[in-house]
Amino acid sequence: MKGFELARPASLAEAIALLADGDPTVRAFSGGTALMLMMKTGVFQPTRLVHLGGIEEVHSAILATEDGGLKIGALASLRQVECSPVVADIAPVLVRAMKRLSNVRVRNVARIGGNLAHGDPHMDLPPVLSALGATVGVAGLDGARRIPVESLFSGYYETVLTPGELIVDATVPPQSGWSASYVKVTTRSADDWPALGVAVALRLADGVVAESRIVVSAATEKLTRLPAAEAAILGAEPTTDVFARAGEAAAAEAETIDDARGSAAYKTALLRVHVRRALDEARHTGAMQ
Amino acid sequence: MNLVTPMPAGQVGRSIPRLEARLKVTGRAEYVHNIVAPGMLYAKVFRSTVAHGRILSIDTSAAAGMKGVHAVVIGEDIRAIVPDPYYGPAFHDQPVLALDKVRYVGEAVAVVLAEDPYVAAAAVQLISAEYEELESVFDEVEAMTSKAVVHEVLRPAGTFPDLKHLVGRRDTNVALDYQLRRGDVDAAFASADHVFEHEFHTQQVMHTPLEPMVSLAVPGDDALTVHTASQSPSFVRIEIARLLGWPENRVRVKVPFLGGGFGAKLYIKLEALVSCLALLVRQPVKLSLSMEEQFYTITKHATTFRIKSAVTSDGRVSGRRCEVYWNGGAYADIGPRVTQKSGFTASGPYDIENISIDSYALYTNRPPAGALRGFGIPQLVWAYESHTDLIARGLGIDALEFRRKNILREGRPHATGTVMKDAAIVQVLDHVADRLDWSKPFDRGSGTIRRGRGIAIGFKASISPTTSMAMVNIAADGSTNLYMSTVDMGQGSDTAMAQIVAETLGIETEAIKVVSPDTDVTPYDMATLGSRSTFHMGNAVKLAADHARDQLAEMARSLGLPTDTNYAVKDLFKKKYGMQAGNIIGVGSFIPTYTSPDLATGLSDNVTPFWMIGGTGVEVEVDTETGHVRILRLVNAADLGRPLNPKIVETQLSGAALMQLGFTLFENMELDGGQVTNASFADYKIPGIHDLPGVIENDIVDAHQATGPYGAKGVGESATFGVSPAIANAIHDAVGVRLTELPLTPESVFRAMQAAKHSSRKD
Repeated sequence: MKGFELARPASLAEAIALLADGDPTVRAFSGGTALMLMMKTGVFQPTRLVHLGGIEEVHSAILATEDGGLKIGALASLRQVECSPVVADIAPVLVRAMKRLSNVRVRNVARIGGNLAHGDPHMDLPPVLSALGATVGVAGLDGARRIPVESLFSGYYETVLTPGELIVDATVPPQSGWSASYVKVTTRSADDWPALGVAVALRLADGVVAESRIVVSAATEKLTRLPAAEAAILGAEPTTDVFARAGEAAAAEAETIDDARGSAAYKTALLRVHVRRALDEARHTGAMQ
Repeated sequence: MNLVTPMPAGQVGRSIPRLEARLKVTGRAEYVHNIVAPGMLYAKVFRSTVAHGRILSIDTSAAAGMKGVHAVVIGEDIRAIVPDPYYGPAFHDQPVLALDKVRYVGEAVAVVLAEDPYVAAAAVQLISAEYEELESVFDEVEAMTSKAVVHEVLRPAGTFPDLKHLVGRRDTNVALDYQLRRGDVDAAFASADHVFEHEFHTQQVMHTPLEPMVSLAVPGDDALTVHTASQSPSFVRIEIARLLGWPENRVRVKVPFLGGGFGAKLYIKLEALVSCLALLVRQPVKLSLSMEEQFYTITKHATTFRIKSAVTSDGRVSGRRCEVYWNGGAYADIGPRVTQKSGFTASGPYDIENISIDSYALYTNRPPAGALRGFGIPQLVWAYESHTDLIARGLGIDALEFRRKNILREGRPHATGTVMKDAAIVQVLDHVADRLDWSKPFDRGSGTIRRGRGIAIGFKASISPTTSMAMVNIAADGSTNLYMSTVDMGQGSDTAMAQIVAETLGIETEAIKVVSPDTDVTPYDMATLGSRSTFHMGNAVKLAADHARDQLAEMARSLGLPTDTNYAVKDLFKKKYGMQAGNIIGVGSFIPTYTSPDLATGLSDNVTPFWMIGGTGVEVEVDTETGHVRILRLVNAADLGRPLNPKIVETQLSGAALMQLGFTLFENMELDGGQVTNASFADYKIPGIHDLPGVIENDIVDAHQATGPYGAKGVGESATFGVSPAIANAIHDAVGVRLTELPLTPESVFRAMQAAKHSSRKD
């Protein structure tokens, strides 16, 4: 490993300025759990790392928003999210997903912003946040914008963020009336990266599905929302048979890929089953009041 | 057999916590990774990117010119230290650094030396090599007939008589062809009522000790000290001395604790390389591999096993033909021993009159394969116990009843002709069956969750004939040191051996100091491998302790004291020498008797000093929609003679079973054109805490090894034997499909269920 410079900006604006020239060997660094692995194996050789740990504290806060939603600062650690009573109250599916997300040592240092910005399709939080309808707040030289999490990813380890842009928060809209679940499927050890991640959120009204979000990750090149699966259950009663139709539609529309965790065909088969099971689980979890 | 000799409440049989436990959990135990020598250089290896190729050129100029680089060394440079720099325990086939050819992706081709390990690593990136690529072979069966030949000429080491016929053999990948012929197999098949034939496969996997390989060589005045994480310090000393043309006593090999070995750290691994480098540059040289690099050192054999049985209408196996192909990779390492020593048990612990076994060690262009916890036995049990289950199913006989009908009983001859003695095979089988309540109804699940159960039993002969030596040193105050070269790599040997000394001398185990292996200090031991230490070193330690005890008695006698004197040891010394002075040194050496198998028939009337027996029972749950298998219950039972330390034995049983569980369910070195594509813990997954079965039970079968120290024998591998076939048998029981290839991934279960569904639709 060659030497590199470690910059320690004291503010978000300073951090953005340090990252703005688009040099691919300069990267932002928060928890470092993914970046350090890439550096160790020589996949990434930085000339400069911009350490975000010293910027304004507000960026690691977890707050309930006025409308009943949730705002998670990008520098909040995964463990903070896991242990936050506010998160448990507003979006308990996030807390449940944490239990099988890596291990407590990693969760203690990994940050929400890095987890999203890394663009790795095997991450667990992006599909969960997508199913919750979350957006990320992004700041850059040209100002701020909001991007839905489901539109954040442009490819395998690729995001729509431009040079110098940093995620500053993930904001979850109010979940009243919704229920959500996440299924992580591993095919080797239990602590492996998922072969498939399925996150779903349901809103029932008058005994039928009024709205849903169904998101697949890990088995596809990037996190993907599945509109045909959602359409298959819209207006229908929330039964296992109906949810099976969503599974069939998901299997038909998702483009799964081969890797060491399984063939594309097998992942499609897993998707068919687990979309149904995730919807069943969401229904049984019950809607948020 | 099967009787525990009554023993007064003593040191043997006590579950004493490990003597070194406190050192380890407080971070004070010494490991080679922590050792730094003055002026030490760090080595980093440049590795081959082709699977088989002639080396045309190696350009080291840019690396050599980099600031901070001390030297760059290639294979030809090694000849200045060792003119014929080839090593290996069975074949002298492995060059210290590649010469002329490379034979697998990841083979060491050049080394950078620098004072800063990061500089060495960066400089390695500047080295380039050109190869003329040669045709390569990766599959063990194809290697039998392939045009690609990994080694032009075979170079057996000459230390093993049964390899002598291979000297100078050309243009073959067969490094050893072992055969066993017993009775008339053709006649058995001709008269059989049923014939069953199957082929089974295992994948290449890795030891993954959490302490990666590490060695440090320190040159001295006409001498060399090697600090190394090795399971075989005595072998390292002898082999380094042979390479250098030095007497043994100029090479000193020191081994502190190991962070796991499992067979990876046997024979020569990094030691020849660091020794040559240190002598070339006249400075200490350390090489610490990364976890990723370990995938290019030594692995477990992938295998193909074709097994065919002749069975009578009353369910007796009358004949069995076994063909086993061992994928040894590019260098033989100890593979030929695996082929022979494990090969002769390939027909299983069954009483079969007519047997034919052919076992082939093959060279291929994969990373080398050697010993890994079980020494080939788990690959064999996987096949013969899956086969056994399939025969029972085919005949409509209960799997337990079929095994009982054919089991090899005490006093009956094994396939080699050796009569079974102190081998509690039947008892192990019964323990497993009883634990599972085999005869009672079983909840088979419902809906998409189906349950099944399976059993399997295997056995292993000990490597032989091998030697262990030990010394027990009683100081004038009565405190006692044990000197031996058995390496404690986590298995608890220091504690168990101290218990033998303590029992013999009538003192507390905790008061004994066990001296770490150091070939200038501790006497010879063949190696810490194959579950041999408890029996071989245990016997040597017992003899050394007996010898010391006898000398104490003699000292008392010479002082005119009665033999049952209650004089304290320190008072004896004081009375004898007039002050606190002197020592008593007890020595012990042990080598069991052995008859080498006949080369043509493989038969021997004394093929092993003892047998290890291991059985496994499992209950599984299969998700019929996804193929996911959950192990609800894992039962391990073993005959290990009398347990010296029951708690350590129990952790050996569960540890071995869990390691094999990983090899069974998902561990797999994935190869693409000879390149390992998942050489890291991010992509090569081993079991974690969440992969543990719901319930694990470990049974120590009531047994006694008459020839063992206090009735004990080895246990480190026994619980690996039955795990894989027991799980495959349970999956078959649950969902009616048979898997014949490891690992048993959810996808393979799913595909087999799909295939069964389709074929039943066609029917």
